[in-house]
Amino acid sequence: MTIIYLMTAIAEPRKELAQRSPRQIAWMRLKRNKVSMVAAGVALFFVLIAFLAPLVTKIFNVDNTTVYPNVLGDGGVPKGFGGGISWHHPFGLEPGVGRDLFGLLIYGSRISFSIAILTSIAFVAIGLFLGISAAFIGGLLDNTLGRLADFLLAFPTTFMYVALAYPLSLRVEAMGLAHHNGARIIVMVSVLVVFSWPGFFRVVRSQVLSIREKEFILAARTQGASNMRIIFKEILPNLWPLAIVYLSISLPGYLAAEAVFSFLGVGVQAPGSTWGLVLNDATNFWQRDPAYLAIPAGMVIIVVLALNLFGDGLRDALDSKSDR
Amino acid sequence: MFKYVSRRLAYAIFLLFLLSIVVYLIFGLLPIDPARISCGVHCSPATVLGNRHRLGLDVPLYEQWWRFICGIFAGRTYGDGAAQFTCPAPSLGYSFPHNECVTNVIAGAFPFTLSLAIGAFILWMTIGVSFGIIAARFRGTFIDKAATAFVLIGSSLPTFIVGLLVYIAAFLMHWIDPISQGLWVSPFSDPFGFFKNFIFPWITLALAFAAIYTRLTRGNVIETSSEDFIRTARAKGVSERRILIKHNLRTSLAPLVTNAGLDFGGLLGGAIITESIFQLPGLGMISLKAVLHDYDLPLIMGTTLVAATFIILFNLIVDLAYAYLDPRVRIA
Amino acid sequence: MAIRQLRSSKVRLIASLSAVALVATGMVATTASSASAASHTGGTLIYVTNADSFAHADPTRVYTGEDIAFLNTYLFRTLLSYNPTVGQAGFQLKPDLATDTGRVSDGGKTWAFTLKSGIKWQDGSALTCEDEKYGVSRAFATDVLTDGPTYAIQYLNIPKDADGSSSYKGPYKKTGQALFDKAVVCSGNTITFHLNAPIGDFNYFATYPAMSPVKAKADTGDKYDMNPMALGPYKIQTYKSGAEMILVRNPNWSAATDSVRTAYPDQVTMRFSISEDVRDQIFLKDSTPNAVNYDQVMQPANQAAFFNSSASAGRGMNVTGPYTRYYATNVTPGHMDCLDVRKAVFFAINNKALIDLAGGVRFYGKLGDSVINPLAGIDYAPTHGGIHDSNFNIAGNATYAKTVLADAMTTCPDTYARVTDPKKGIAWDVANTATGQKAATLIKSALNAAGIQVNFNFIPSAQYYPTVQNPAKQGDISTAGWGADWANASTVIPPLFIKEGGFNENQNWNWTGKTTADPGIGYDAWHSRVVANMGQTDRAKQSAEWKALAQIVTDEYWAIRPLFSIEQEYWGSKVGGASFWLPQGALLFPALYVK
Repeated sequence: MTIIYLMTAIAEPRKELAQRSPRQIAWMRLKRNKVSMVAAGVALFFVLIAFLAPLVTKIFNVDNTTVYPNVLGDGGVPKGFGGGISWHHPFGLEPGVGRDLFGLLIYGSRISFSIAILTSIAFVAIGLFLGISAAFIGGLLDNTLGRLADFLLAFPTTFMYVALAYPLSLRVEAMGLAHHNGARIIVMVSVLVVFSWPGFFRVVRSQVLSIREKEFILAARTQGASNMRIIFKEILPNLWPLAIVYLSISLPGYLAAEAVFSFLGVGVQAPGSTWGLVLNDATNFWQRDPAYLAIPAGMVIIVVLALNLFGDGLRDALDSKSDR
Repeated sequence: MFKYVSRRLAYAIFLLFLLSIVVYLIFGLLPIDPARISCGVHCSPATVLGNRHRLGLDVPLYEQWWRFICGIFAGRTYGDGAAQFTCPAPSLGYSFPHNECVTNVIAGAFPFTLSLAIGAFILWMTIGVSFGIIAARFRGTFIDKAATAFVLIGSSLPTFIVGLLVYIAAFLMHWIDPISQGLWVSPFSDPFGFFKNFIFPWITLALAFAAIYTRLTRGNVIETSSEDFIRTARAKGVSERRILIKHNLRTSLAPLVTNAGLDFGGLLGGAIITESIFQLPGLGMISLKAVLHDYDLPLIMGTTLVAATFIILFNLIVDLAYAYLDPRVRIA
Repeated sequence: MAIRQLRSSKVRLIASLSAVALVATGMVATTASSASAASHTGGTLIYVTNADSFAHADPTRVYTGEDIAFLNTYLFRTLLSYNPTVGQAGFQLKPDLATDTGRVSDGGKTWAFTLKSGIKWQDGSALTCEDEKYGVSRAFATDVLTDGPTYAIQYLNIPKDADGSSSYKGPYKKTGQALFDKAVVCSGNTITFHLNAPIGDFNYFATYPAMSPVKAKADTGDKYDMNPMALGPYKIQTYKSGAEMILVRNPNWSAATDSVRTAYPDQVTMRFSISEDVRDQIFLKDSTPNAVNYDQVMQPANQAAFFNSSASAGRGMNVTGPYTRYYATNVTPGHMDCLDVRKAVFFAINNKALIDLAGGVRFYGKLGDSVINPLAGIDYAPTHGGIHDSNFNIAGNATYAKTVLADAMTTCPDTYARVTDPKKGIAWDVANTATGQKAATLIKSALNAAGIQVNFNFIPSAQYYPTVQNPAKQGDISTAGWGADWANASTVIPPLFIKEGGFNENQNWNWTGKTTADPGIGYDAWHSRVVANMGQTDRAKQSAEWKALAQIVTDEYWAIRPLFSIEQEYWGSKVGGASFWLPQGALLFPALYVK
């Protein structure tokens, strides 16, 4: 829901300043925004850690599979302060099983980020492609895509995913595409993309329609430029800022969506681990092992906040009207 | 106007119709056999066949869909002989795990969802709009900055984490009465009990929305204040306060109708996260349980269709409201 | 995995050695002492459960141990009942609707019961023999009334169709009604059951709700599950899935005709869908003093807190339960068809961690050595091998598991290749619960250490048993749990280990017997031994044979690592009379009162 509103706030393409290229101006503005830069740093840090998980865990000498059942006390709660926090286990252990929480969260963030990034890129790409096609080809295609978008927007996305996750992943498994969590991830990304592109598609379509009427396009046309050339050389460059902003703003949304679905028990499943899965489990232990809830919850909040702040900064930087 | 309304109405009905077909197609083609699921532990092939017949799954998919559509208007009869029973219209099917017509299951869950949606809606609209107006009025001051921070944090905190924290806080303060968890308390017979049941879910659900509406309101108010008619009023010497209330808000709050309508419509389908954290057996919760516990297909299809119906319905309402407010829309 | 967590058809058992005397002859009912009854009467008992509703409340369909005990106590009445007292005396059969504990003739093939007069339904109409007959007939309508016990179909003298199902299709279709009318005969107030073989303990089955009367006019098929008609001291006022069931006094019940039920509280409420966390708090903090826990047990972390705290002293019990839990291996070719692989899995898994995860030896269960629970009485004997093997280590013995697995390389190379291939591995069926997912993590960790690969198939919990008992859908290994229905392993070995048993998770009818400990045995030989022993009338010989068959189950690793269950009960400080009802494996519900 959040994403959509942030999206609607994005304005028309800006009027160009004479001297600097739009990219330079945006970068200058972004650099001036201290909060955004810090947020970008934090977000990048987490993304790096996620993708370098094997290396990071090696440095800390932990992993996400070894179990340490001997560290668990009564009722499976880790012995010691903060759910078994120690030099060896900086975030403590997973109650009941005894895997290292640091390792779990780092490897978990890999899945979470992958899902969020894949989904964002896929829906932006599809939105761009279909939006431009609809606006340029028009006629029946435009009409059909418009109706399809209307239709898809009438579906309750969360409901659809919750309802379809299990049977669709069975289907994916039966097709031999992937197994278990692999299948779950494919299904999650696909369902999210299917129900996400229509919103972006509409924006792209209307943008392209308005850009198409601009003088510089007319100029290009009179010089005999082909449609392809116009799309790639004239229209796409004007859509990049929009695409980048959408991408950055939707990323935290999908990160949270992955966590929610795993939290509800319809996403990734153990022995895999994601933030949502750990949080789900932590709800059973919040009284006896509060650190087990607090650490992953804190992590999710920090990352989502950082990504949102960065996305905001990016939007402000790319949007001339946002100064107010 | 009449022509416009009927055209929009026809389109909404067409969408619903299409939706029912697609939902049937999606679920009908899944590798899930409800006859097998409701067959129980001593399941013989004969029982599966019998169940398939009883569930009406022994006919082609298009006929299943047609029976479903007929059921909505005329009710539907299941089974044979003494074990026969009828789900009266509007029938959305029969849920075997609940031993109940889907319509009744949904009707039992709806009060929770409706109360949750209405309460949260009132809360977030009040907070969002008033914060937005105040932030715009004191633009650039400390108050505005605080509002911006609220927007940022509110829209960044994932609902399920907010819900968990609120739930834990409520639990520690003994605000949640364990034994009556998830029981329906009527707001008319026991307003306090009702309030106690719902206040924490309302807060959880309203937080993110309040942040978004603060942002929207603030933006709209600021944008409107640079419009010519406001400047004219200001030049005429009308007080800032009067300008805001008499001139600005009318223009800047009108676009919120769209957002508010669509959000409310979306919530009437069930707020899965909030409902499941606070154990409120609303539409979201029963569909989640239907998925996790039994994969109760008729119920899942029913709740999905109901949720989609609300989205379409509120789209229609918003369109009509706009047409009413702005005559230009009708002609377009 | 846990029987309770899955709400499978968990079944009851009798632990009495004296239950050998199966053909009870005119056991006289002793009147329950009612000296203190007056002071116990009144108030509301609130049962608290995590479940959304009863798995079934239709007498024909109830097959979950605790549900049987609960519904028999408050709502239903059966021909016979277990004695509502603590200890071994609880195993005695008491006449309930019947005037005696059954009269047997024709060498055990004919059983007759006479109904007491003056018993009324909740609507005031008199109970008739036809009602009893109708109630029994419903078990045959397996297409409508699923999940109930199938003993009536197995035992009654009604021919079978080619596909093995009964030729009588139940009272709704009425196909073969004449066959049923011949097998079950009403004459006046006496009902006679004609069986297809001598069944010495048929009267134990008469304690089941599936053998209780149902009034034909009140029968609503499926829907009867939500609104069964009461014969007992309470009737349903409200029953709403996901919310509550409220039972109020049934004015048409009379204590004079009922020597089993005491009916202390004025109202009995069952609160459904209480989340685990909240349920635990209710009993830890005693926030609802008239509450009694039902069905599932506390989360392990809270179990210890509860039983270690002096504040909860006298509000809980931790007792040996009647169930055996185990991992069932699917021995179909292409699955766990290799004995050495099954054996390697057994030695590899870390039982200590798995048991600790679910509550430890204190709260979950003790490692067992037979699929027959010791509470089954004379049919239990420790088997050799398995956990008594010198190479067995409770925390897993990866080294020895590797050695056994290496044998499999030559004995069954195909299976070996499959289970060591990371892309394939063992397909392990796990119920999709929090504990199930954690157990999967532990199993994977231990098996990988022994060089075995595993993939998990997480199944929504209510679909678990329907899935793993579907030969087409079962993976290689699944969890199973079972308790004897009464003190004869004829209610354990046949249901679990022959094709027609109904709860076979081994698919051992596909067992070739080739790669086994004893190459002489194949499924046909196994099957005929089991069936022959069911008809064995010499109880001592029968018992010896059950033990021998249980040894084969252990040797073949059909049931990997049996675990003898431990059960917990909790109640609030205002609840009195709490004790354990041995034969029912549940609280002695009739004795509970509000202080």
